[in-house]
Amino acid sequence: MVNSVNSQQLYKLQGGIKLPHHKNDSLQNGLSRLPIADKVYMSLRINRGNIAKPLVKVGDKVLKGQIIAKPDTIKGSYIHASTSGEVTAIKQRATASPEADISTVVEITSDGKEQWVLLSQTPINQAYIDSISTEDIIDCIHNGGLVGLGGAGFPTHLKYSSQNTIHTLIVNGAECEPYITCDEQLMLDYPDDLINGILLMMKASGASQAIFALEDQVGNIKSNIDKRVKDRNIQNISVVKVPTIYPAGGEKQLIKVLTGLEVPSGGLPLNLGIIVQNVGTIKALSDFIAQGRPLVERIVTIAGDCIGTAQNFITAIGTPMSHLLQHADFDKDKTHRLIIGGPMMGYSMPDCSIGIDKTTNCILALSEKITQHYGDTLPCIRCGECVNVCPAYLLPQQLHWYIKGENLEKAREHHLYDCIECGACAWVCPSQIKLVDYYRYAKSELKYLDYKREKSDKAQIRHEQRETRLERLKTERAAKRKRTRRRTSNPDKIKQDLNATMERIQKAKAEKIAQQKTKKQETDNNAE
Amino acid sequence: MQNKVFNTESAPHIPNKNSVAKVMLTVWLALVPAMLAHVLFFGTGIIIQLTLSIIFALFFEITSLKLLGKPIKLFLKDYSAFVTGLLFALCISPVAPWWISFIGMFFAIVVAKHLFGGLGQNIFNPAMLGFAVVLISFPQAMSIWLPPHSISPYAMSFVENLHAIFLGQFPTAIEFDTLTQATPLDLIKTGISQDKMMSEITTGVVFGDFGGLGWEWVANMYFIGGVFLIYKKIITWRVPTAVILTTIAFSLPFYLFDADNFIGPLQHLFSGGLMLGAFFIATDPTSGCSSHKGQLIFGAGVAIMTLLIREFGNFPDGVAFGVLIMNMSAPLIDRLTIPKAFGQENK
Repeated sequence: MVNSVNSQQLYKLQGGIKLPHHKNDSLQNGLSRLPIADKVYMSLRINRGNIAKPLVKVGDKVLKGQIIAKPDTIKGSYIHASTSGEVTAIKQRATASPEADISTVVEITSDGKEQWVLLSQTPINQAYIDSISTEDIIDCIHNGGLVGLGGAGFPTHLKYSSQNTIHTLIVNGAECEPYITCDEQLMLDYPDDLINGILLMMKASGASQAIFALEDQVGNIKSNIDKRVKDRNIQNISVVKVPTIYPAGGEKQLIKVLTGLEVPSGGLPLNLGIIVQNVGTIKALSDFIAQGRPLVERIVTIAGDCIGTAQNFITAIGTPMSHLLQHADFDKDKTHRLIIGGPMMGYSMPDCSIGIDKTTNCILALSEKITQHYGDTLPCIRCGECVNVCPAYLLPQQLHWYIKGENLEKAREHHLYDCIECGACAWVCPSQIKLVDYYRYAKSELKYLDYKREKSDKAQIRHEQRETRLERLKTERAAKRKRTRRRTSNPDKIKQDLNATMERIQKAKAEKIAQQKTKKQETDNNAE
Repeated sequence: MQNKVFNTESAPHIPNKNSVAKVMLTVWLALVPAMLAHVLFFGTGIIIQLTLSIIFALFFEITSLKLLGKPIKLFLKDYSAFVTGLLFALCISPVAPWWISFIGMFFAIVVAKHLFGGLGQNIFNPAMLGFAVVLISFPQAMSIWLPPHSISPYAMSFVENLHAIFLGQFPTAIEFDTLTQATPLDLIKTGISQDKMMSEITTGVVFGDFGGLGWEWVANMYFIGGVFLIYKKIITWRVPTAVILTTIAFSLPFYLFDADNFIGPLQHLFSGGLMLGAFFIATDPTSGCSSHKGQLIFGAGVAIMTLLIREFGNFPDGVAFGVLIMNMSAPLIDRLTIPKAFGQENK
């Protein structure tokens, strides 16, 4: 276990690619608040099939910030209404998730009043941070409905527990995908809230230092935050610029660049005593504590060549994409793909009626001119360019080879599960192969096979147990029979036994007669 | 807003500008300096051989694709058959008869490539398999080499080259002895078998400063082309470096021990096909190793096999055989050198 890391030195990330930024368009138009949509569609899907239970029913009036769904288990998170109005439907609907998965969605028709629930407001200052207890902060994280806003949507409170020994909090402001600027916008506009949030997160985790990571291509954010940190006389927050290489903003990659440490395969940053937190999540904590506002809105970047005015919007969770697009001069006819997330890892959405999620950082509308393939897909020539760019040190061409041949166990041997699906391999492939599709397929297929194997293994064990049980009963019965048979099978012994018994009986009889005789004699004698 | 259904293909949504054709054309470009050096020292024969082998390569490529029912236009556009033809032409003699290319390309394209499944599926390097077949089958036709222009009593014109290749007729001014004077490595092989000392052999006119005369310049050009490929990220430094360093490390002790009977490191590097092999043949990704460690082992293996054949085998040069033998070993090497994934060191 490592106890601390040096925040001054940077380490080299093996692999990765340099991508065009496309970030200026949305940044130059700044941040504005999006007016509330007529209807919001709040997905109850938290992450990976974890679905919260609705606490409201159709026809209920809700206030903004009211809890409308609570998680089944401790591993879930709360969902709050993002506007005030009436619940008009609870139904299965496409959500802003990979493959636009169908999930339970609460439809709230806004009354346009944006009426909040009663909010408890506490100004955050150093004295407050000193006085609040670790458990209280973790409760706030849970009650505020906080999830990782960087992409995966992992419920934040699960990272914080008194059992973990954490020495470093890494603040992830490195947005490595092109076009997305929501984090950069947030860092530009809310530096003070961020610093408050970082101090609270550090207190919650017990970390002794925080490393605030930024990409080296961002402007004067570093100096701005450095100045504020210095003004407030905070010693243990250091702002570090990391090279702009995709995917340096990935959790594991960022840790590697900043500390030189590698998160163990299959493990978590917790195993190294590190927590990585996206800037958006940190700001959400500070909002919840300072203003009492749970996570009901986030910053969403709208960009792409089919967007007239690319910009960042403060958007209520559940707002349909169409509403966002309307406010950004969307050219629907030109749009070929509508993407949630970045161009490297984002999911393409079939239509724009889907409501945004807590993890929706960006909506991209791209024309066919940008998305179309450069050439035709050819067989892999094993050129090895994918090996050079893979940040997980895999052999993508070998994985592809084995998966194509349905040799999935071999793919597992080649560390398929360490793939982070960043898409760098597919991006450099001269044969234009959609490599990540193969890996996703193999992962889900292997999961299914493992499930089937586990089931058949269990059945096998049950079967074997039954067999041994039957066998045992059989031997027991056989032994019993044998004992009986042994007793009945030896004629001499039976004869002897019989004789002995007969003798005993006769002896007894004789004795009895003799006794009776003497008794009779005695009575006779007495009678005389 | 009325609903429109958008395209839902998966990420990445911004495609790269890379293509197999680009890779192959860059390899072509990298071979241009060597081709020019070839013309300069050995005459225009190479141009004819090049044209021939590319025509045959395309002929067999189209026929195979047609017979296999694969899209012809799609696979012709990848230019891989062009590269196979070019590499083959650079290996054979500029005055070899035309049917050498025909047979070589048949084995390269039909047998080594398409019978194994086509582009990206071949176990053996196609050009080297074709070359090995003609080298073993037609030793006489393959041993006709002309000395470099500078020491040749007669320089063949383009038309005379055509005559030689298609009709087997050489100008009367060229004696048979000159024709079979052959390559520097041939001379070393025969020289040593006649108990001549290396110092004696290399004083011959076909030897240059450190390799064969003319050959060393072609080798230099291969080196330059190879460095260009590394710069263009078409190949990595691993295979060529492994080949060159292993060649030096393996031949130097023998050379220091007995300089009269063993070929020196520089002679090894700058004669025959070693430079071509190091940068253009052993780096063929399809038939080579995929892991970085495997590539180093592969390169070292090619060098060791080549040197063993040159010093102790029956053939003057062994690059083709070295590559083919290592091609066979590549899947095994790959299996034994699966790299550790991110975070597995700490496990």
